[in-house]
Amino acid sequence: MRKKIKIIGKHVLLAVLAFIWLVPIVWLLVTSFSAYKGINTLHFFPTEWSLDNYAQIFFRPDTVVNFPAWFRNSLVIGTFTCLISTFFVLMVAYAMSCMRFRGRKQLMSFSVILGMFPGVLSMIAIYFVMKLIGLTNSLVGLIVVYSAGSGLGFLICKGFFDTIPSSLRESAKLEGASQLKIFTRIVIPLSKPIIVYTVINSFLAPWMDFVMANLMIRSKNPEDWTVAMGLYKLVEKTLVGNYFSVFCAGGIIVAIPISVLFVIMQRFYVEGITGGAVKG
Amino acid sequence: MKKYLTEFGRAIKHGDIWTRLSLLVMGIGYVGHGQIIKGILITLIQVGFCFFTGRVSWQYICKLNTLGTVQREEKLDVLTLTKTVNDYDNSLQILLFGVIGILLIVAFILLYIGNLKAVFQIQQQKENGKHVNSFREDLNDLVNGKFHITLLTLPAIGVLLINVIPIIFMICVAFTNYDMQHQPPTYLFTWVGWENFVQLLTTDATTTFGFVFTRILIWTLFWSVIATFSTYFGGILLAKLINDKTVRWKKMWRTMFVITIAIPQFVTLLLIGKMFGDYGIVNSFCNKIGLVDLLQRVGMISDGIRYIPFLSKPGWAHVMIILINLWVGIPYQMLSATGILLNIPEDQLESARIDGASEAQIFWKITMPYMLFVTGPSLITALIANINNFNVIYLLTHDYVTPSMKYANSSAKEVDLLVTWLFTLTNEDSNYKMASVIGICVFIICAALTLFSFSRLLAGNREEEFQ
Repeated sequence: MRKKIKIIGKHVLLAVLAFIWLVPIVWLLVTSFSAYKGINTLHFFPTEWSLDNYAQIFFRPDTVVNFPAWFRNSLVIGTFTCLISTFFVLMVAYAMSCMRFRGRKQLMSFSVILGMFPGVLSMIAIYFVMKLIGLTNSLVGLIVVYSAGSGLGFLICKGFFDTIPSSLRESAKLEGASQLKIFTRIVIPLSKPIIVYTVINSFLAPWMDFVMANLMIRSKNPEDWTVAMGLYKLVEKTLVGNYFSVFCAGGIIVAIPISVLFVIMQRFYVEGITGGAVKG
Repeated sequence: MKKYLTEFGRAIKHGDIWTRLSLLVMGIGYVGHGQIIKGILITLIQVGFCFFTGRVSWQYICKLNTLGTVQREEKLDVLTLTKTVNDYDNSLQILLFGVIGILLIVAFILLYIGNLKAVFQIQQQKENGKHVNSFREDLNDLVNGKFHITLLTLPAIGVLLINVIPIIFMICVAFTNYDMQHQPPTYLFTWVGWENFVQLLTTDATTTFGFVFTRILIWTLFWSVIATFSTYFGGILLAKLINDKTVRWKKMWRTMFVITIAIPQFVTLLLIGKMFGDYGIVNSFCNKIGLVDLLQRVGMISDGIRYIPFLSKPGWAHVMIILINLWVGIPYQMLSATGILLNIPEDQLESARIDGASEAQIFWKITMPYMLFVTGPSLITALIANINNFNVIYLLTHDYVTPSMKYANSSAKEVDLLVTWLFTLTNEDSNYKMASVIGICVFIICAALTLFSFSRLLAGNREEEFQ
């Protein structure tokens, strides 16, 4: 009997916790179907339901909201960032893990030290550098900003490569394979989990970032914005009264591709991380 | 270092005419020894470098000591009504181009020394009758023995552009007076030495940086420790609760928590910020059930207001931020803890149970040591990530108005972390000099933490353990 109470207690506790965690999500969902555009402060559920917010997002771009363009921009940036970053990370990780050359350890320490400078500090300087090259206000500039420094994030991937038995590489070398062949034919096919992890993470970064995007893209034309930037602008004080429920609808739509990626990643997530960190 | 230079000296001393000539024209040594294409390529690099330095960066490097002397002046020609601008100095450009120019010169000197050594090596190979690589063989080497050069070149250029140059630039700015009153192109800024660091620590009638800095520093450290450990233990406990043998529908419970990750952080945080706003939905709910009156009677909120200042009064906001961060952080920790918990050897747990250990004992004596062993290093990473946790603080408190004049004077808020303060200083105040100084402080804190606990990673002595 006591055991039964304990079990029920655990389920009740879980239910309460789940309720707390889901309240904001549910509020996001129901507000996105609200006919009232501002923040509903009196009722949790909207008094009048409508699909208008979604219609506005997809079919009625105005001077503030242009979701299709935002989505397109973010998709372009995400795709290119993810391609470049993944290549960079894999390349650096292979060089650091599987090759031995002079200055390798110094380079690794140097990259760890570089990573400790707060990103917010260099932000404004990055803006100056990009302005110098003439890449502000453009998608190319944002892609460069998101992906150029990605080589620094090689540590997890290197940890994974370290667990690939070196005998595999040695025997390939004896058979006359070049390093390029070992990299592309042996190491990469064995690193699927870590590649998926890197791809998804680098693809998602531009969808979440509003600070750098706001700094780099000064255009007042919503067609040039990214999803994160655009949604962020919708809750500014002057706009939030008219666009809050549109913001919620946008949040729901952005969550869809991200959730799909997470479901794909979940299979690899634990495997990739723990495989890189511990195996023994 | 010494060996490096003596090798260089030896190359000059024993080099033949081609080797010595390549001191002047870098490619000529290769051409003389039959590597024509390589020679041309190297010479092109040399020409390009000389051209860039001579035509572009040298004029800026020369002005680096003063960062410019001629201020911008506009003259309006009354007759033609056109404005003419004098040939002014732009301190920002001087500093930026100066940094880039000096980096290029350093890189070029390294290339120059390396080049001479390489030529000398080829000369020796030839003298000893050894084979000298053809261009095709050199290219082949780039995907084999020297593959790391091929691999690292592009990422290194990227890191230089996005990380190294901006960081050096900002470190330099910490020693200048670059702020609102000294903004190029209209005004000049110049070197001031350690003045900004002194200002960060002083508190007097005009500056309040010292007062604010110590308080924000303490709150930052406090926040990062609390935020890290609360989400860490919360995540482990939640994972344990869900993985409990008697709990059913494990997958459903897990999904319910993981859903919160799928929505971008800035959306959920802004949303929660609005929920807990002064006139938000939570407050109207609390009003309805009489909680506001109750708290007012207890004296936890002041008399003048009819709401609970969740995110708008110091104290309240601090607690709320930590609680909301639990909401954000626990699902992540739960995910990673689940994977590790499942890896705990079941026989250990079983034998402990047979020996009569209670659940609490098992948790503290077996589960936690195992978790700490596996996730110890990532705890430090999490600590550093929380010191730099921009999103949570910024998104929750960007409507917060500080009641204290001292904070307002330094454009800070009670709930700011060092990084969000830094952000406000650059974005709203254009106070780049103080922002850079704060950035350097954050770096020092993070570096100290890392060195303190991560020295094993830096030394990299474990990396071959699993190979």
